[in-house]
Amino acid sequence: MAENFDKHTLKNGMVILGEPMEAVESVAFGFMLPAGAACLPDGCCGASNVIADWIFRGAGDKDSRQLSDAIDGLGLVRGRSVGSSHISIGAALESGNLAQSLDLYADIILSPSLKDDQFELARQLAIDDVLSLDDDPRQKVMLNLREKFYPSPLGRSTVGDIEELKALTAQNSGQIIKDKFNLSQTIFSVAGKYDFDDVCRQLEGLFETEQNGNDESMKLGQRQGKYTHIRNDGAQVHIGLMTETVKPTDEDYYNARIAISVLSGGMSARLFTEVREKRGLCYAIGARYHGLKGAAGIMCYAGTTPDKAQETLDCIVGEFNKLGEGITKDEIARAKVGLKSSLILQSESSSSRAGAIGSDHYILGRVRSLDEIKDQIEATSVDSVLAFLRANPFEGFTVVTIGPKQVNIE
Amino acid sequence: MEFKSDKLENGLVIIGEVNKSAKSAAVGFFVKTGSRDETERINGVSHFLEHMLFKGTDKLSALEVNEAFDRTGAQFNAFTSEENTVYYAAVLPEYLVEVTELWAQLMRPALRDEDFDIEKNVIKEEIAMYKDLPSFDVMDRCRILHFDGHPCGNSVLGSEESIGNLTAEQMRDYFASRYAPNNMVLACAGNFDWDEICSLAANSCGSWQRQTVRRKLDHSEGSKKKERVEKPNLVREHICLMSAGVSAQDPRRFAASLLGTIIGDDVGSRFFWELVDKALAEAASMQFGAMDGTGAFCSYIRCSSENVTKVLDIVKGIFDDLVKDGVAEDELTKAKNKILSALVIKNELPMGRLVDLGFNWTYLQRYQTIEDDVNAIKAVTVDDVHSLIKQFRPGDFTQLSLGPALKS
Repeated sequence: MAENFDKHTLKNGMVILGEPMEAVESVAFGFMLPAGAACLPDGCCGASNVIADWIFRGAGDKDSRQLSDAIDGLGLVRGRSVGSSHISIGAALESGNLAQSLDLYADIILSPSLKDDQFELARQLAIDDVLSLDDDPRQKVMLNLREKFYPSPLGRSTVGDIEELKALTAQNSGQIIKDKFNLSQTIFSVAGKYDFDDVCRQLEGLFETEQNGNDESMKLGQRQGKYTHIRNDGAQVHIGLMTETVKPTDEDYYNARIAISVLSGGMSARLFTEVREKRGLCYAIGARYHGLKGAAGIMCYAGTTPDKAQETLDCIVGEFNKLGEGITKDEIARAKVGLKSSLILQSESSSSRAGAIGSDHYILGRVRSLDEIKDQIEATSVDSVLAFLRANPFEGFTVVTIGPKQVNIE
Repeated sequence: MEFKSDKLENGLVIIGEVNKSAKSAAVGFFVKTGSRDETERINGVSHFLEHMLFKGTDKLSALEVNEAFDRTGAQFNAFTSEENTVYYAAVLPEYLVEVTELWAQLMRPALRDEDFDIEKNVIKEEIAMYKDLPSFDVMDRCRILHFDGHPCGNSVLGSEESIGNLTAEQMRDYFASRYAPNNMVLACAGNFDWDEICSLAANSCGSWQRQTVRRKLDHSEGSKKKERVEKPNLVREHICLMSAGVSAQDPRRFAASLLGTIIGDDVGSRFFWELVDKALAEAASMQFGAMDGTGAFCSYIRCSSENVTKVLDIVKGIFDDLVKDGVAEDELTKAKNKILSALVIKNELPMGRLVDLGFNWTYLQRYQTIEDDVNAIKAVTVDDVHSLIKQFRPGDFTQLSLGPALKS
């Protein structure tokens, strides 16, 4: 597969990445702003969510409505998310409108209006989102799980904390934007149909004069508690379970990914087969790799009716523990082809690629080519995965449950 | 892009859109059956049957099926709606034939009693899971209230009771009457060899027996009833509104989609500016769903109990304004831009293209290029939207609210 990546660094350190795609008419772009949940000052949990809304409520010479109309007028399919490390904002669109879109997003990042009345509305919506989590136990259990599993503040809730949101002011939120929208740490990525020289020239004009922010190192706290139960009289017990594994920068990263695929890659993988197909314990069951720059884990979810909760958890933990005892060649082969094909299928989407190259650059400091990833996947074997599991046994699980019944953790 | 079509003697239609520059290919069997084709006694059977197809054939066990799919690295699954059951896979081009062959075999499943009994537990867990998702639960309940006896109101999942009582024999009967080749479409999109797929279909599906398959196709105006259901463990108020719309066969479906976007797109719509932007509701969206012979606009709103009255007053105001003043030209243009971008981006992926290709054929029995759809959307006028509003009065809706016990 012929691949080339574009890269340019502005004088202020902002990185511009690109991946041209021949077969598409669309383009997708994203800005990764280093103001994710874990980057916030203590006592401001949820501020990233407020900020991600607030900066869209008017920017440059446009008020909230004019800005939104301009974005919609260009037919942007908007994307906005808050993660542990970044607020990501971007869009997918018809490639002819890219330049005008970048002008709008530069205003949103560099000169948001940040009006007080608009702050109150953004904050209220963020509070409502936290309250709504009580009606979505599956999402809530996974947010709680990350919080308990990762050393603080890496797992800090990306949705927010009610009390801290209530205490948040326009002034301290404005200060967070000033401190954290640090262009030297901002990553811009674009994928699809675009002209890289044009993009760079435009971004130089828009962003290069801006100098702000310092890179702050983060102090990590302790991992919290082994088991947390949250009472909710719903129909199911929602089980979230996480255990530590190697980071994306680790040489064993691909062995870990293959091991997780054997456990939960496809419908023939062990968790689906043992928990759902053979025992009928769950509808939703799965585990996946969850990697941050500073720590990583295997994250597992299962939802089941209260009487089956204990058996479900025991069965899952049993499968984790059994993994190191032996894996067949066929399992490894299926895991490899599954990972490789999902990689290639995702590579057809401009949005996926823009996201992937940005995240690679942040975590690894470089962009991996699809060929490199394929080769690394191919290089794994039964022996290498088992050796990895022996050297990195699952040493404990962080478990969170929400529902009418608790489970016992050994 | 090159469109191809063929039809076996038993009525199975095979369609394909070949795009040699794609890195992947997608395949799907589109079976024209869903909960609207069920009676009350067997409610939920279509969806349960969809699960049972993965359990294998006389020659393949469930584990062998899953292993066979996973050996190809396919991203495969299935979904059931009120009127369609779709089995699909996205794969690298070199695996498309293998995966299509596998699906073709699975379309003639064993439906073994022992698999049925275990899978019944999984279905019950799925019903329980959706009970814990009030945003889904409220729509399901509102649909029942809105269609009020019309088969489109039948729940896709069925109830704990209907699933509990369902027998494998009833499922086999249902299968025999609905999975006829003349009630299915085999569709492919992306990078694949058309001739290979055709000969595969002839070999593997040619012996399937044609049947007479019927569906009731009455239009439904909807009950316009209003109800509230209390669930003590809920925290927010979940509100679903439904009103009648045009069918999937009606050319006005594009105008209806645009109207849905104008009123209730996630951002930049009337709901957004009046409810979400002002932080009165954290979610407010409206979508138009075209169905076989009928259609419905469906809105979902989530807010605090304290804001319900205010929110519903505003919603009423939005619909009143719509009748009084209609929509503005620039509103329609924005809605078109949004829908067109999303359509084009979705169709860049073979899997995205497959869905439109299959459904267009299911409903219209014809091929629609992306350009056909793009042009149809571009051609919608403000007057088209106004005549829809006049005829269907979206403000005259069925309403179901799901929320915590009210403080008295």
